Amino acid sequence: MLALVLSSVPHLSDDFRAYQLGTYLLYGVAAQGVALAWGRAGFLPLGQALFFGLGAYSAGMVLIASQANATLLALLPLAVLLPAALAYAIARLVFARQYVSGPNFSLITLALAMLAAQLANQWSGLTGGFNGLANIPEIGGLDRYSTVYYLIVALVVASTALLGWLYRTPLGALWLAVAQNENRLQFFGFATDRLKALAFALAGALAASAGALYATQQGLVTPQAIGFELSTELVIWTAVGGRFGPYGALLGAVGIGLLSAELRDVWIHWQVAMALIFILVVLRFPAGMAGALQTYGRRLWPRSWMAGAESLSSQSAAAPNYLPAPPRNRAADTSTLEPIRLEFNRVNVRIQGVSILSGLQLHLRGAGIHCIIGPNGAGKTSSFNALTGRLPLSDGDIHFSGRRVSGLRADTIARMGIARKFQIPSVFSALSVRDNLCIALWGNRANALQLLQASTWRWRSTLWEFLIASFPFLETESDRHAGELSQGQRQMLELAMTLLMEPRLLLLDEPCAGLSVAETGQQTDVIKRAVTLIGCTALVIEHDMAAVARLSDQVHVLHQGRLLASGSLADIQGNPDVQAVYSGGQK
Amino acid sequence: MKRRSLIQKSLAIGSMASTGLLSHRQLFAAGPVKVGVMIPMSGPAGLFGPSAKNCAELAVAEINARGGLAGSPIEMIVSDAGVPPAEASQAALKLWKGQKVQAFIGMHDSAVRGALVGVFKGQVPYIYTSTYEGGECSAGTQVLAETPAQQLEPVIPWISKERKLKKWYLIGNDYNWPRDTNAMAKKYIAAAGGSIVGEEYLPFTTDNFDASLAKIKATGAEAVLITLVGGASVGFNRAFASFGLSDTVTRLGTLIEENTLAGIGAQNAANLYSSSGYFAAIDTPAAIDFAKRYTARFGAQAPPLNALAQSVYDGFLLLEAMANKARSMDPQKLEAAAKGVSFSSPRGQTTMQDRHGKKDIYLARADGSGFKVVQVFKQVGAGKNC
Amino acid sequence: MDASAVTLALNLIYHIAVLALVGLGLGIVFGLLGVMNMAHGEFIALGAYAMLAVQNHGLAPGYGVALAVLGTAALGYPVERWLVRPLRSRPLDTLLATWGLSLLLRKSIEAVFGRQYQNVSNNLSGTSTLLGAEYPDYRLLLIVVIFVGFALLALWYRRSPAGARLQASVANRPLAQAIGIDVDRQACVAFVCGVASAGLAGALLAPLVRVEPLMGMDYLLDSFFVLVVGGLGSLSGLAAGSGIIGGTQVVVSTISDQTGGYVAVLLLSIGFLWLRPNGLLARR
Repeated sequence: MLALVLSSVPHLSDDFRAYQLGTYLLYGVAAQGVALAWGRAGFLPLGQALFFGLGAYSAGMVLIASQANATLLALLPLAVLLPAALAYAIARLVFARQYVSGPNFSLITLALAMLAAQLANQWSGLTGGFNGLANIPEIGGLDRYSTVYYLIVALVVASTALLGWLYRTPLGALWLAVAQNENRLQFFGFATDRLKALAFALAGALAASAGALYATQQGLVTPQAIGFELSTELVIWTAVGGRFGPYGALLGAVGIGLLSAELRDVWIHWQVAMALIFILVVLRFPAGMAGALQTYGRRLWPRSWMAGAESLSSQSAAAPNYLPAPPRNRAADTSTLEPIRLEFNRVNVRIQGVSILSGLQLHLRGAGIHCIIGPNGAGKTSSFNALTGRLPLSDGDIHFSGRRVSGLRADTIARMGIARKFQIPSVFSALSVRDNLCIALWGNRANALQLLQASTWRWRSTLWEFLIASFPFLETESDRHAGELSQGQRQMLELAMTLLMEPRLLLLDEPCAGLSVAETGQQTDVIKRAVTLIGCTALVIEHDMAAVARLSDQVHVLHQGRLLASGSLADIQGNPDVQAVYSGGQK
Repeated sequence: MKRRSLIQKSLAIGSMASTGLLSHRQLFAAGPVKVGVMIPMSGPAGLFGPSAKNCAELAVAEINARGGLAGSPIEMIVSDAGVPPAEASQAALKLWKGQKVQAFIGMHDSAVRGALVGVFKGQVPYIYTSTYEGGECSAGTQVLAETPAQQLEPVIPWISKERKLKKWYLIGNDYNWPRDTNAMAKKYIAAAGGSIVGEEYLPFTTDNFDASLAKIKATGAEAVLITLVGGASVGFNRAFASFGLSDTVTRLGTLIEENTLAGIGAQNAANLYSSSGYFAAIDTPAAIDFAKRYTARFGAQAPPLNALAQSVYDGFLLLEAMANKARSMDPQKLEAAAKGVSFSSPRGQTTMQDRHGKKDIYLARADGSGFKVVQVFKQVGAGKNC
Repeated sequence: MDASAVTLALNLIYHIAVLALVGLGLGIVFGLLGVMNMAHGEFIALGAYAMLAVQNHGLAPGYGVALAVLGTAALGYPVERWLVRPLRSRPLDTLLATWGLSLLLRKSIEAVFGRQYQNVSNNLSGTSTLLGAEYPDYRLLLIVVIFVGFALLALWYRRSPAGARLQASVANRPLAQAIGIDVDRQACVAFVCGVASAGLAGALLAPLVRVEPLMGMDYLLDSFFVLVVGGLGSLSGLAAGSGIIGGTQVVVSTISDQTGGYVAVLLLSIGFLWLRPNGLLARR
């Protein structure tokens, strides 16, 4: 439909209107890349013109060179592939060093764009310098003022279709999850830096292909196509147009861009109007113009295509022919025949002079549920953090079934079969309950190809059925956003998600916190049965002694970063050291 | 506007009838001639927009009072050339194809010039008026812009002798205009018996010039040739003076006009010279009268006159001369007519030679809050461009 | 001592000091409060224009400084109340909102003062000879003022009760709120102080730099880089960032040329941002 609308423009209006629209459509495609990275995957690229400009300059150089030697045209795809590869490399390098996004990525991309603009200006032998790379011929002899427009329309339709499809695949959901709670996603075994790098590479490819067509449409590429100003405009257009879907960016670039071009010569205060529009959009329409259109469209025509799907996975819920999920990827595991062994060997963690773990020595073997108790500040959660790569060790190491885990990344550890549930229930709040469960199921199971297939939404496992039976709300409220659940329900959801991973070692951090007595009973029940079903070892941190009593085969007491005592609950309760610690007799 | 052009048309016809020239001119003017004026209204050069627009309006009003272009009144359409070249070329295209503009006058940077030349491809007359690096030879293009040859070839020997300057330091922004200017300047300096003690190109984003100033001091330079533009020029010159260099070192710039001087400030402008085709302070009768007409039309608080704005006025004068010589607005005829055409402007007499304008060049020195012309170089050619 | 070495040292100190002065406002607003204030440069410009306005009316520069600080503070309050506070939880949206604000401020300056370059005259325009090097007096004064000012600020932040409360709400907002600190009012006061320091920076720098409506952009970029490289949320981070960025710029520009300096700063920033994602001395 988009193709129809856009293709008709030259006929309804005239050729140079189409020419002008064409340029802004190209900017729009680049902005779609920004929307993908920012609105979907949650990180803001402030230097996207870098890839646009790289695509433009490369394509320009190839086209100019091809005038002498036509076979060089085969190099044209490189104008898109090389910037995309660069984008991937940049994102991987930057995101590998941190586990959540911060402003530093944005500033790195900005600095790179500024650097590129400076080099484009300076290496005038290659790029034509300030005056730009001129006399770029038309591609394949197509007239730039008329026929190239259709090429642009083709690109726009292709990119919009591609993004629209991608957003509905499991990968699209994963990107949303990265944006909402990247930390948590890693604990399901997803290498979030690779996911983000993929998004950025695609964004780079979009920008570069737009740039390549820009080069032939304009016949001239100047450093302004690669620098800070265009990068900023792309972000502004995306923000105003709407960053949560592929149409928003197009709307922003064409709407605001064209509007500016028209107003600029007519009204002297057009920039003030623009500024007021930005402020208004931000305060009133956080989803941008596209979001506003969708909201009003939904109100006026509730059944139309504008309403959109409620949640990503609901499309699959409508047709319940479920597929059995493939077994968990055991490649990273040690042999399943061996009982698992977890060893903390003289683990020391010191931060800024404060000793968090001092010589923690804990050896666990075999299946069963072990409870870890201790007063506040004893180092219980810290031991989990140290185990799952969130707390660097100052001394000692941690081994899991013979393999050293201290110092590994969280997602690597998760893929080894260690699953963790957090103290404060940590789920993907803006995704539906069912989406959350799906993501947990895909962890360490879905390969890259399966993440692109719609059928992956229909995976279910026996454990899934068991969990639905144990926590009925998972089915009845499956379309609700996880953030709208009550605290108790969120605890149960997160437990379910952690269990779905079918890990070999289950780490539960206060799974019954904030639950009523009845809910606690339900929760502990599920934990016991699930542990038997999966055949794993569980480490449970708990304060509620009733829960401990119900769950534990073994209890370990931590105090001041050390293991104080181990044994059955009765042994522990009888231990005088433990009693002293709990009643305050010992410091 | 419509009524005025009607009155002017009737006046024109009336005067034609009375002077009996009916047989040599079009009896009925074919409607107004639309002229596109591409000037920067936004962006870093946007501060010249208002004054340039005023000069354009003044030119149009005066030319229309004289009978317009080949008998047709001018209707001017202003478009913002301070935008990236892609957008500027689209704006020009819209004016040309959509609004049927028949001639363009452009005062903007070379990147936009390159884009426009690529769009027009010689099919519509295009007059380029701001200072530039030379070398524009495209069909359909006439260049009134001063070239480095014009601004420096006569000036450097004169000022070297006048101020006894032997050691020159060249500093400019990093793009082709400063580099080309310096390439030519080096020849003139050598011919005048001087030597180059330093050459430096700064990125546009630099706002800290201390390292360059330290180098200027260390090399013992006696003169600095400044090809910095815009804010960099202001910042550099202010810092230059703050270090006490302005008392001992002479500065010469080729793009220092009244606005830049105002930003530099009188206290920082000792021994600062500027070489240009126009200053508001020129005291020839033509220039004084022009300034009076400008103030009369736009008031005393109007944006001050400067070389860049005034060049737009001259651009219209050239167009008028071409149109009247060709007696038509046909692009081919105008192109032919442009060869050797001459007109007199507030700057003096300008004659077109090799697509460029041979004109008077003024060397001025900063004096109080304005410029004072210290030497006039008459009828300087633009050098070899095409 | 070699005069050019002394000049280099003084240039270094001056440049680092100015970067710190310019970055302070954004350090408070972005570093402490997490507000990406894209209008930071425009508040600096307002400070410079305040000096111009006072000069145009023939009054002493001291009034200009006062007007700069009070004027930007007065503007800061409604901005915090109606633009920043509603968007507290959406940091990337504040980016867009403050971008719009910066446009509005720039256009307002244009409307009142015009687009042309302005000159704020320097009343201390002589030079002094320090260890054989001739250096502008105003710059020397500025260096002293900045160092003393920062020392006092650091003292206040570390030692005073108000400073401690501020540190508390930065470190843990809900907890600070729970113990009775009025975090909203504190954020408002901090924001106002942040933009007022930007205004002060503009007023102090005005006699030395170019004054025109577009002057703010460079300061914005410099400040962002200084803060993110040095580490958000602390004065020492601001100092570290200024030192790294300023030092690189001055040293490389002197050894090679300005282009080299610019490229070196960009490369260094990229390097630091990559290897130390939270900045050198992060506190948040």
